[in-house]
Amino acid sequence: MGKITGFLEYERLEEGYEPVDKRLKSYREFVIGLKEDEARIQSARCMDCGTPFCNSGCPVNNIIPDFNDLVYRDDWRNAIDVLHSTNNFPEFTGRICPAPCEAACTLNVNDDPVGIKSIEHAIIDRAWNEGWVVPQPPSSKTGRSVAVVGSGPAGLAAAQQLARAGHKVTVFEKNDRIGGLLRYGIPDFKMEKSHIDRRVEQMEAEGVAFRTGVLIGALAGDGKITNWARETVAAEQLTQDFDAVLLAGGAEQPRDLPAPGRELDGIHFAMEFLPQQNKVTAGDKLKGQITASGKHVIVIGGGDTGSDCVGTSNRHGAVSVTQFELLPMPPEHENKALTWPYWPYKLRTSSSHEEGCEREFAISTKEFMGEKGKVTAIKTVRVEFKDGKMIEVPGSEQILKADLVLLAMGFVSPVASVLEAFGVDKDARGNAKATTEATGGYLTNVDKVFGAGDMRRGQSLVVWAIREGRQAARAIDEFLMGSSALPR
Amino acid sequence: MYPLNWGSQGVEAKLASLCAEAVDALKSGHNILIITDRRLNREHVAIPALLALSAIHQHLVREGLRTTAGLVVETGSARETHHFAVLAGFGAEAVHPYLALETLTAMHAELPGDLSAEKAIYNYIKAIGKGLSKIMSKMGISTYMSYCGAQIFEAIGLKPELVEKYFSGTATQIGGIGVFEVAEEAVRLHKAAFGNDPVLARMLDAGGEYAWRTRGEEHMWTPDAIAKLQHSARSGKFETYKEYAQIINDQSRRHMTLRGLFEFRLDPARAIPLDQVEPASAIVKRFATGAMSLGSISTEAHSTLAVAMNRIGGKSNTGEGGEDKNRYRNELRGIPIAQGTKVSEVIGADVVEADYELQAGDSLRSRIKQVASGRFGVTTEYLVSADQVQIKMAQGAKPGEGGQLPGGKVSDYIGKLRHSVPGVGLISPPPHHDIYSIEDLAQLIHDLKNVASTASISVKLVSEVGVGTVAAGVAKAKADHVVIAGHDGGTGASPWSSIKHAGTPWELGLAETQQTLVLNRLRGRIRVQADGQMKTGRDVVIAGLLGADEVGFATAPLVAEGCIMMRKCHLNTCPVGVATQDPVLRRKFQGRPEHVVNFFFFVAEEARQIMAQLGIRKFDDLIGRADLLDTRKGIEHWKARGLDFSRLLHQPDAPAEVARYQVELQDHGLDRALDVKLIEKARPALEKGEKVRIMQDARNVNRTVGAMLSGELIRHHPDGLADNTVFVQMEGTGGQSFGAFLARGITLYLIGDANDYTGKGLSGGRVVVRPSLDFRGDAAKNIIVGNTVLYGATEGEAFFRGVAGERFAVRLSGASAVVEGTGDHGCEYMTGGTVVVLGKTGRNFAAGMSGGIAYVFDEDGQFSKRCNQTMVALERMLPAAEQTATQDPAIFHCGQTDEVQLRRLIEDHYRWTGSLRAREILDHWEASLSRFLKVFPHEYRRALGELNARNETAATIAKARESDKPTVKA
Repeated sequence: MGKITGFLEYERLEEGYEPVDKRLKSYREFVIGLKEDEARIQSARCMDCGTPFCNSGCPVNNIIPDFNDLVYRDDWRNAIDVLHSTNNFPEFTGRICPAPCEAACTLNVNDDPVGIKSIEHAIIDRAWNEGWVVPQPPSSKTGRSVAVVGSGPAGLAAAQQLARAGHKVTVFEKNDRIGGLLRYGIPDFKMEKSHIDRRVEQMEAEGVAFRTGVLIGALAGDGKITNWARETVAAEQLTQDFDAVLLAGGAEQPRDLPAPGRELDGIHFAMEFLPQQNKVTAGDKLKGQITASGKHVIVIGGGDTGSDCVGTSNRHGAVSVTQFELLPMPPEHENKALTWPYWPYKLRTSSSHEEGCEREFAISTKEFMGEKGKVTAIKTVRVEFKDGKMIEVPGSEQILKADLVLLAMGFVSPVASVLEAFGVDKDARGNAKATTEATGGYLTNVDKVFGAGDMRRGQSLVVWAIREGRQAARAIDEFLMGSSALPR
Repeated sequence: MYPLNWGSQGVEAKLASLCAEAVDALKSGHNILIITDRRLNREHVAIPALLALSAIHQHLVREGLRTTAGLVVETGSARETHHFAVLAGFGAEAVHPYLALETLTAMHAELPGDLSAEKAIYNYIKAIGKGLSKIMSKMGISTYMSYCGAQIFEAIGLKPELVEKYFSGTATQIGGIGVFEVAEEAVRLHKAAFGNDPVLARMLDAGGEYAWRTRGEEHMWTPDAIAKLQHSARSGKFETYKEYAQIINDQSRRHMTLRGLFEFRLDPARAIPLDQVEPASAIVKRFATGAMSLGSISTEAHSTLAVAMNRIGGKSNTGEGGEDKNRYRNELRGIPIAQGTKVSEVIGADVVEADYELQAGDSLRSRIKQVASGRFGVTTEYLVSADQVQIKMAQGAKPGEGGQLPGGKVSDYIGKLRHSVPGVGLISPPPHHDIYSIEDLAQLIHDLKNVASTASISVKLVSEVGVGTVAAGVAKAKADHVVIAGHDGGTGASPWSSIKHAGTPWELGLAETQQTLVLNRLRGRIRVQADGQMKTGRDVVIAGLLGADEVGFATAPLVAEGCIMMRKCHLNTCPVGVATQDPVLRRKFQGRPEHVVNFFFFVAEEARQIMAQLGIRKFDDLIGRADLLDTRKGIEHWKARGLDFSRLLHQPDAPAEVARYQVELQDHGLDRALDVKLIEKARPALEKGEKVRIMQDARNVNRTVGAMLSGELIRHHPDGLADNTVFVQMEGTGGQSFGAFLARGITLYLIGDANDYTGKGLSGGRVVVRPSLDFRGDAAKNIIVGNTVLYGATEGEAFFRGVAGERFAVRLSGASAVVEGTGDHGCEYMTGGTVVVLGKTGRNFAAGMSGGIAYVFDEDGQFSKRCNQTMVALERMLPAAEQTATQDPAIFHCGQTDEVQLRRLIEDHYRWTGSLRAREILDHWEASLSRFLKVFPHEYRRALGELNARNETAATIAKARESDKPTVKA
């Protein structure tokens, strides 16, 4: 708390966006971060609460009051150390985290929360610019080896922690570049991929080996899950070669919409559509890219992935973009007395929505209609919810034009075949079964095989993945060494 | 220090050799021993400085060598005031905190302000020194030499063998860890320091001691606990409350409280159906809210608690800051609040920022009226409006200290209620100036019982070793009620050193109190309340089992009405309008009585469920049943293993017919009071406002004359009666507390003399004491009234033709008094009113005086030496014409020139007492005037100036407010 009365004097300042017409022309990031003095003023709004709800609201428990104070006092060098002490990758979360910390911010009780995410963003960007983010190789090696399966935020966080603890870490990624969903799920305009490349470079210098294009175990299914692997390594091979294995392969099994006409051409999962564009943005050539150009696009699913489909479609040059959400429109404002400090259910409008999109709520798809095997329209019906049951509104059927339908209805679970290859038990939702207890956490039923991130907890946020990766790293370190100095 | 590889087992041998070395050193002629941990390194672990010091200190004492040696501790572990205090208390003549000093040298440039390293160190040492003075003053110790080795500490969680050997003479009640565990902790710390924890490579641990941190020290209030409690209170969902209670009750099992280490002795055969347990509505009547003053918390937060407690039939507590009479006057007149009445319509729109509608029959009256050492706002009417009057002897969280309200929170309104100066911080003195012994306490109980004869009198004590004996004394002193407060409260503006390190758990004090009272067959006469971070039904039941009839809650209901544990109470910046007086922030207050009501019913419901499991139908049957409690089995923590609660859970050996809970009322002997006669004779005045003259002998066996009469008068006429309506002329010797709380309209005219506490709490009446007609000496040289006269007097007049004892007009806050000389400490802590002294004063006059004016006739020209001028200026008296010409009338006391006021008071004094000294002064007025000195507090001068400046612009501000309500972001 640099300034005791800062919260009474200064207002919340949102990060700026480039104008829509300009940003639609490129896949580059369009968020304009706070300037240093703006970030300092924003941090002066922090009240240094006796009980900082942000600290517990943040899944990685960023020590927010402390770095706010350091920024206010212009001590950015220590601010990044505080930030890095709980979060391996603030440049990811500073861009794409929905910021549960801000929902929990005490100022949010009856005012606008401190712009915590924008401050985090400013700290890490400055740290990279100043050259403060450097490799931290371990002072000594343990001689133990760990395989990390999956290079998303959970796998990367775990790998970095384990490497710093002196273990020999190899990260396996089935696709051609490191990053998992960060690389191929999140469009560049939300987060440019150079951020991942920089981290990979740092981690390589810390001793992490990366092997891309390697599928571990098996990937059953219908080929709808992006898989650019060139080779496959058997699960047994891995458990033989390494002292411990961390499964951090995400929850890739998408939720399908089994309506009549689903087999028609032009109906794709979001995770078919988005990775292709990221690959092209990265400069690769791709034959037969799914494109929204000149099409009427319908995105089914009202979440963040849906938003990313909307933003990408608009950049492709779609004629129209419509997004469906099954549930009714949430209230614009939450009842803070009953929600704060928890994540509130309320209407959220993303930057992609602002770029042009119709949003339909309380709508359900009855049928995909097509000509010559290609989708041309979609038949919908309005729905109502009574006592938790969904009922269709009679006579509300409607037919909408649709040349491209993108299914962004979330992910059901990890791909079962990967877990099965290791013989890992699944919980009721199909996730790798393991607890998060301080002792014995993250360990699956299979000896020396651990699970973390979406693969263990089901689909979630990047920041949760980082938390799981860090905690799993500690569990693995403890498993290998008997004790661990890694933070939880 | 000793080699790390010896492990924790190595500590004993090293301590023994240290002791031997110390003896050798002294015998070889050295006389200063330095105990140091400076040379610790990766291979050598330091013995905790306190342990090493105390071991050597005790050893030298036993060897009879201690007085030949000086012990100096050089340690990196001493940082905070408390660390120094403990080292001093266990024998360190000097402490060198080298690490703290080196740290300051390293970081001085980063600190705010342009500090040199020397200046930073100077400031640090000064701060530690001030902190030590404060701690010593709490214990009533004046010099370091007396504090050094005095061991004013109680150990909690140390094994008796350890204490006996190394901290001989310190009380330790529940056992705990031994010397090896102490060393083990040191070894662990050492390993962490020299370990390779990546987070600690460049930074210190997140801590979390003073503000919660996820990976820091555990706190009872976690973000989730606060959120769940608030959501349950607002939504009325018991399931959400149970989530809250789960967090709290569970975390108490994480070894944060003694009760967390207990479990109930459940026997399924004894369990009864829930519906056979008395209803929650009966249990909530045993609940009270804690003494959080209006001032420390906002009027919104304060009155919401009151409304809630009145709705459930519990009791809220004013705290020590007085209470706005608008909150109770109509109720006492029998005019109920109607449905839909707004809070602002009761208290006044100008003092309420967050308004809401009340229910029919609501009451904003705090049923418990607190009387603390500051006596803020303690008037007759205040006392008469009480169901219970609570004498705060000490506060659980900060025993030995008075309440402290920072200047920023003393708004005009708060200042008015407290009869003090706005903007001036208020620190209540540690002791009550009228209590220096248990007899004095009995006297105060008697005084209060006389004024508020329908109220019960409560005495608030803090948990400590020996509190049982004190409680027994309190019961014999005729208190109706006693509170045993634990240490773990004090979230507000209390000093951190007190919050963290002072006081003991209520479990200890309550158990001792119960056992002592039962053994002495006193328990049936007094009601016992336990208080201190009570949060759940489990806490309530445990308090009952250990002997409480009632339970007090403070933080939890505050959280229910919106507190989010910001811990910014001392800064006046509470963002939810609870602990602030800033109108902008108070507007954000969102608490409602129903939130608090919900919370208390949930707590009672949880308690009922436990009672059903225990097979207890009524709360009364629960009280004192410590046999239903057991030490929790399988306490896993390595430091919890040696705990032994058998003393705490002991059942006193008393016959079955001895009461275990309150069953009878105290006999206060009010029917024998002289006032019974006075009231009879004053009937025409009380009932019809007619003038009454009464003649009465005065005898010193009649204590507290006039108080019951005043209480009766105020019950009929809240504003009092016209001056002199009841005139009581007495002759003889007035007993103690003569004219205490005398109400407006009553004059006690005494010919003779009077004892201590004359005019205590004077509330508008007049007390005159003039010497007996037989007296032949010089009145101006002879004592006429005792000590501590006019303590806390808020209004009225007093004329004493003669000299008063010590502490004359302490905490005077509004009355006027003329006296012909005083003992030491006159006008100490005075905040308002006018005192005229026509003769010599004692030493330390005006210490801590922040308001009002004293005019002192400087007979011998030496007054300036006897006056403590830390907070006041001495000014020459100006003739009225000169004062008008040269001074801004804005800073005139009471809007009049000094000469006019002084002359009028002396004339009145002469008229009432026939004082020769007054006559003489008046006869030579001009010459006399120049011999008077005006004692003018700096703060008062500032406040007068500001008040006046405000008045001038008040109209403008009011207008601006009307047209455009200021927003938060002004």
